[in-house]
Amino acid sequence: MNIVPTIGMETHVELKTNSKMFCRCNVAETEKPNENLCPTCIGLPGSLPVPNKKAIEYITLLALSTNCAITNDGMFHRKNYFYPDLPKNYQISQFDLPVGTDGSLEIVVDGEFGTVEIERVHMEEDTGKSTHIGSGRIDSATSTHLDFNRAGIPLVEVVTKPLIKSSKEAVAYIEELRQLVIDLNISEGKLEKGNLRFDANISVAYENADELGTKVEIKNMNSLKSLEKAIEYEISRQTKMLKNEEIIIQETRHWDEKKEVTSSMRSKEGSADYRYFSDPDIPNMILDEDFVADIKKDMPLLPSDKRNTFIESGLSIEDANSLGKSATWIGELYNSVSNITKDSKVSFNWITGELQGQLRKLEKATPPNWLNPENLSEIISLVKSDKISFTSGKEILSKLIDEKINPEEYAVANKLIQENDTEEISKMVKEVLDENEEVIERISNGEQKLIGFLVGQVIKLSNGKVNPSVAKELLLKEIEQ
Amino acid sequence: MDHYKLPISDINKLFKDKKLKPSELYTEVFERTASTESIIHGHLSLFQEENIKKATDADERFLKGDELGVLDGIPVAIKDNINITGYATTCSSQMLSNYISPYDATVISKLKEEGVIFTGKTNLDEFAMGSSTENSAFGPTKNPWDPSRVPGGSSGGSAAVVSAGSAIASLGSDTGGSIRQPASFCGVVGFKPTYGTVSRYGLVAFASSLDQIGPITNNVSDAKILYNSIRGHDRFDATSLKDVNVKQPKLEKAKIGIIKELMEDGISEDAKSEVHKVSKLLESQGHEIIEVSLPLTKMSISIYYLIAPAECSANLSRFDGVRYGNRVNGNTSYEMMEATRAEGFGPEVKKRILLGTYALSAGYYDAFYGQALKARSMMKKEFTETFEQVDYLISPTTPSDPFKFGEKSDNQLEMYMSDLCTIPANLVGMPAISIPTGLSSSGLPLSVQIMSPSNTDNTLLDFAQNLESEVSFDALPQIQGDGE
Amino acid sequence: MTEKINIKNVAKLAALKLTSEEEQKLEKDLSMIIDHFAALSEMELPDEKITIHPLGMSLNLAEDEAFKFFTHDEALSNAPEAIDGQFVVPPALD
Repeated sequence: MNIVPTIGMETHVELKTNSKMFCRCNVAETEKPNENLCPTCIGLPGSLPVPNKKAIEYITLLALSTNCAITNDGMFHRKNYFYPDLPKNYQISQFDLPVGTDGSLEIVVDGEFGTVEIERVHMEEDTGKSTHIGSGRIDSATSTHLDFNRAGIPLVEVVTKPLIKSSKEAVAYIEELRQLVIDLNISEGKLEKGNLRFDANISVAYENADELGTKVEIKNMNSLKSLEKAIEYEISRQTKMLKNEEIIIQETRHWDEKKEVTSSMRSKEGSADYRYFSDPDIPNMILDEDFVADIKKDMPLLPSDKRNTFIESGLSIEDANSLGKSATWIGELYNSVSNITKDSKVSFNWITGELQGQLRKLEKATPPNWLNPENLSEIISLVKSDKISFTSGKEILSKLIDEKINPEEYAVANKLIQENDTEEISKMVKEVLDENEEVIERISNGEQKLIGFLVGQVIKLSNGKVNPSVAKELLLKEIEQ
Repeated sequence: MDHYKLPISDINKLFKDKKLKPSELYTEVFERTASTESIIHGHLSLFQEENIKKATDADERFLKGDELGVLDGIPVAIKDNINITGYATTCSSQMLSNYISPYDATVISKLKEEGVIFTGKTNLDEFAMGSSTENSAFGPTKNPWDPSRVPGGSSGGSAAVVSAGSAIASLGSDTGGSIRQPASFCGVVGFKPTYGTVSRYGLVAFASSLDQIGPITNNVSDAKILYNSIRGHDRFDATSLKDVNVKQPKLEKAKIGIIKELMEDGISEDAKSEVHKVSKLLESQGHEIIEVSLPLTKMSISIYYLIAPAECSANLSRFDGVRYGNRVNGNTSYEMMEATRAEGFGPEVKKRILLGTYALSAGYYDAFYGQALKARSMMKKEFTETFEQVDYLISPTTPSDPFKFGEKSDNQLEMYMSDLCTIPANLVGMPAISIPTGLSSSGLPLSVQIMSPSNTDNTLLDFAQNLESEVSFDALPQIQGDGE
Repeated sequence: MTEKINIKNVAKLAALKLTSEEEQKLEKDLSMIIDHFAALSEMELPDEKITIHPLGMSLNLAEDEAFKFFTHDEALSNAPEAIDGQFVVPPALD
């Protein structure tokens, strides 16, 4: 009997507004701790929260782009618990009336389309940052230091339904969500900066079971790689336990990056009682039809829109997906170049393979501004039409990155134009064969690799101009005779 | 002549006519403070030093004809749960005994612009929880009419200092009656505005959907002046109203409803007869008196004592010794928070926090807090429907005249019942004013309360002012040691 | 009507350390108050939409403009303990 995993993802997206969610303190990163504070974000007596309009526009945009139903008459709730990085010892969040519900996100896994169902999208505020001083481990710290610069930054929490079936799917989902928030221009989406933080809820059960297994929450995965590894590890841990009929405890586990295992965190007695109640400092959040229509009107192109356009241009789902997740300039360049060359696959390969590869070696993030769709297409066409070899094409590209040149002129000037004329090449082939009778003997006796030598001789004779595949073809023809 | 019981507009005229200087008035008021504070203990802190300069600055302005407005140079006391930059805001709690506020409440910014001179901060029941000021961590305030009796609460200090003449007016806060009840006990005027018309930014929150800042004054015209200078939309308060236009009640030939349920058991005969006396006066003024029934008012105490503690249990969570407050150390931060709160909070505050936490906890929400919210909505409906038949509502402000210290401290429910008449206005959000109308058989002040629909505050104040002139209450407390 | 209030649990949720005398007194006091609520709990009330605010007010949202409120020193002015510009507390366990 098969044991199947079930995964649900909870992701926090940091919105890139100018000010915090409930006060007008700056959200920009600073070197100094506790630099951007006011009575509200450090919970001084008498302070009050006033919600950020832009943040609400951004979350509505996210909810709409994931096909969620929008809650027209929602509210903020207080989530009550005590922790020193939480200035009021309650977090203003949303409980049963979140901004968006029942949405979905199209993803690509292994070159195929898939869908992740989204349970809810809600608004909340971030906490401050705590640093444990001491040996570095929480349980042997001697004190905790607190910086509240981050306290109050707007966060959107996106929760999927527990319907994800594999670590690959989970990773593809996070990649898609990240691209979405970047394309919507509501978040920087940088994992390493904590713009996107995620926890995974994992359970396993026998294939025919009526219910899902006990779910375990995994925290502290800081990259897509660790997400994948952590899910795999946890699935395997739970599967083993299920097979041995051991009881899986509902708990929160911590992913240990070094040891590559999940481990139990200090267990709390029972589940937390957050005593949610609607925040009396904030009246109902009415998002009426006009407001929602305005947001919809200004919706930018989504990753799925771009992906579909790329697919329609001739790319595979896999290629279209990875193109959509590259930097914007790459997709834009592809669009223009493939329009000119009329060959999507070749354009894709040249841009994502050769161009990006060369830029990476030079540690450049973007090509120079004189490199445009026209001159790049020129190089591609020269190679495609066999006027120059692929190697020559790479050389011209390298030059173009370095300085402003005209590819065709450069090819001519540097004698890179290939000889393709069959008659001309035949003459040279005959000449080479005449001078290499012993080699012909040896080839006839089975030393096939000496063909390469002969091709080389033809190339030499032509001063590198001959099209090697044509030469080879003609040589073989002649030899057979 | 004594000026400290004159209406603000009269004082302002004397300033403008150069018959009195702000510094002279301030000296008078400060001398009242000096002679009565040891008995009354209304102020927790006095801003004497800087006020001398503030008063002479006001002198200059009036001399040059540059005065700021009618409140320029007027000494006003501020309840110690309202933040003023650079001064302590203790909320009468050990938790905040060392807390110096780094920002101004919006109402304070507004009054600063008017040239108001803050006498100092006044005593209250700890974190505004109480009806007698006996719950202050720094000792109770005494009623100027009889120091063996409570001044009421939670704004006991604010009411007492106005009554004693240690301030021309004061600001208090009202969550379940905390402006009106002490005003009644001290024989002065107390006004709770429509919820949302005065910003709560800078008022230490007790129950967010019920709290309002309001004036305590010697007469209604002063209350009107002070209210209009502190009200207005505030971008720092999401519950702050923008100006709303509603139908105003009539000032002449008005229909006034006596609330039946607030004239029954639990209300003293003295209090009832005040209402009857006032009703007759109103009739003589050409108004019509009818009896109205608002059955849900009988549930007021239950509804209030579920909603207020629930909200306050979360509002007071921030007091944990992490970022401010009197920290008591512990091995872990949780232990530190637990110990800090154990030592910093008094018993009434702890009780309400626990009551609120319980009401909100898993399994109890629906039966308690959820139910209270529903009842509140229904109560609001009842009042809205009633206001379709009457312009104003009248009731006693308090069930009785001021009680003695210790009389109710052992009986929590009886203490909570002090708020019976005042709570409905907070639950419904409507404005309510208490004006002194007579003396009880013990010679202590009695008041009546008048309420009107939400957003009719200035009309209510005008109506109350008309009544006040008809009532002509001019008794003053005789404070022990008073030179008179 | 009331089941016994688990005062220890409630105190834990509220981060309040109580002495055993306080526990006893509070349990008694709170039970009395909660019994008083019985009449309200048993009322049949329609399940209509609840307004939290007495006036059912509409939401004021703020424009997303940042401005500086406190200086670093003002923000820390009441800190019981601070090192290198950070608030310091005893170790916070998860």
